Amino acid sequence: MIQFNNLSFGYSRKKLLYKNLTLSIENGSIYGLLGKNGAGKSTLLKNMVGTLFPVEGTVLVDGVQPKSRKPSFLQTIYYIAEDVYVPALTIKQYHNLFAPFYPMFDKDSFYKYLLELEVSVDGKLNKLSFGQQKKFVIAFALACNTKVLLMDEPTNGLDIPSKAQFRKLIASVMNEDRIIFISTHQIRDLENMIDKVMIVDNGNLLLHSSIADIAEKLCFKTVNEIPKGAKVLYSEKMLRGISVIMENTDGEDSALNLEHLFNGITENPAMAKQLFPIN
Amino acid sequence: MNDTFSLSRFGLLLKKTILERSMQLIGAVVAVMAFTLLLYTLILYALDWGPAQNLSFIWGFIGGGVVLSSVVFSYFTTNAGGAAYLTLPASSLEKWLCGILISGLLFCIVFLSFFRLMDYTFVTAYHSGLDRTSPLYRGLYDHVYLYEFEGNNVFVKATILYTNFVGAMMVGTLYFNRVALVKVALVVCGVLAAIYFLNLAIVSLLFSNVDIAFPYFTVLIKVDSEVGNIELPHYAYAIANNFLQYILPGTLWITAYVRLREKEI
Repeated sequence: MIQFNNLSFGYSRKKLLYKNLTLSIENGSIYGLLGKNGAGKSTLLKNMVGTLFPVEGTVLVDGVQPKSRKPSFLQTIYYIAEDVYVPALTIKQYHNLFAPFYPMFDKDSFYKYLLELEVSVDGKLNKLSFGQQKKFVIAFALACNTKVLLMDEPTNGLDIPSKAQFRKLIASVMNEDRIIFISTHQIRDLENMIDKVMIVDNGNLLLHSSIADIAEKLCFKTVNEIPKGAKVLYSEKMLRGISVIMENTDGEDSALNLEHLFNGITENPAMAKQLFPIN
Repeated sequence: MNDTFSLSRFGLLLKKTILERSMQLIGAVVAVMAFTLLLYTLILYALDWGPAQNLSFIWGFIGGGVVLSSVVFSYFTTNAGGAAYLTLPASSLEKWLCGILISGLLFCIVFLSFFRLMDYTFVTAYHSGLDRTSPLYRGLYDHVYLYEFEGNNVFVKATILYTNFVGAMMVGTLYFNRVALVKVALVVCGVLAAIYFLNLAIVSLLFSNVDIAFPYFTVLIKVDSEVGNIELPHYAYAIANNFLQYILPGTLWITAYVRLREKEI
């Protein structure tokens, strides 16, 4: 479990990005962290892994403060940054040097993931394309079998088949003890994969809810005309009518559109808060 | 699990640190050796044995140490590199010790061995090239000896500068994420210039006819053509010496550890 207790963070003490953020992140879920560029997604992840420290308040990952960066803690968490760092090593050399730091590392799974993601195993890692490097890092991170996996824009640089393969892999490694946190602004990459959504904007947590809860409270559909009196979170004119997100008063089942949800929540945060109270 | 220090984990970290960037580390050491050899040869050709041995040792040892210490913590040029380093499951103490071991011990062993070998080759070649029948043989032979590491004041001073500059470089690399070598060089030059002028100002308030006022080492007074050296009282000299020899480098090296613990990226 990850707990944020009154977390305040800012790159300068005078201008805080997050103020008194309190939330709990449960095990056994794949979280999608959505936000615009510069909204504070990476900052939140870095506070969880301990490469940034809160100005006030605490972050606790299974009761441990990440800022201490103790080896016993770091063995249980893996963070994939948005850009990729790979040294001038072959995959085998990288495995030999880095895997021993992770006691739960599974070599067979590692090579299986590499195969599934179609990562070329010949030559040095730094000579691979950005997408290949990214896929290599994802495969390594998954093979580490850490309890918490934080990924910052993992699908950036991946081609379409790789994105699909990535989704399959994430679904396959998930279990009830794990927390997988995926931060992205490429919302469609997360569709049908995540079970909880968080939306941040300018350091404010606008939404923290499960997909099931969203589907229960909101209805996503295309209409010719917006029904009178309907509480609309978002609407967008499309070729075949108006795509709307409305309050789900009739208990209708509808397919969630993350992109529209994101737009609705960021454009209408007051209604979002009313529907999905955070604290 | 020991979260502060584990020998096996430290071994893994050292192996990883050296092999992960072996070309960078080896390249830096080889470049330093080549530079030292070149400097030794050029100064020998232009001046004499004494300056060749002293200057090539000072520049190679201190310069090499500084360059290497800028490499050992240079993970922070990219966000991903820095994050990968900070989140690697090893303690800050182990990471710091690893840097210290590479730039503070392994480099010293490699450089001193290389310097001894290079110096030995040059000096032996010189001695064997002398005409044993010449009446000047003894004098020419005695003119050159192997560079002494023990009881050599230049060696002691170079070691003091080495520990200080390497410490400053390690701290600087952890403060400046990019082009740390240049930035630290600028900061050090700025600090030295400030100390120099402050020292000059204080000395000028106390004495007239000040010729040179170099902090710690020399204050010279010149009256007409006569030059006199002002020496610190023994106790003050001991304080200054201890400060430069132990307190300042100790503070810098420990600051590097503290900074590594608190490093954010």
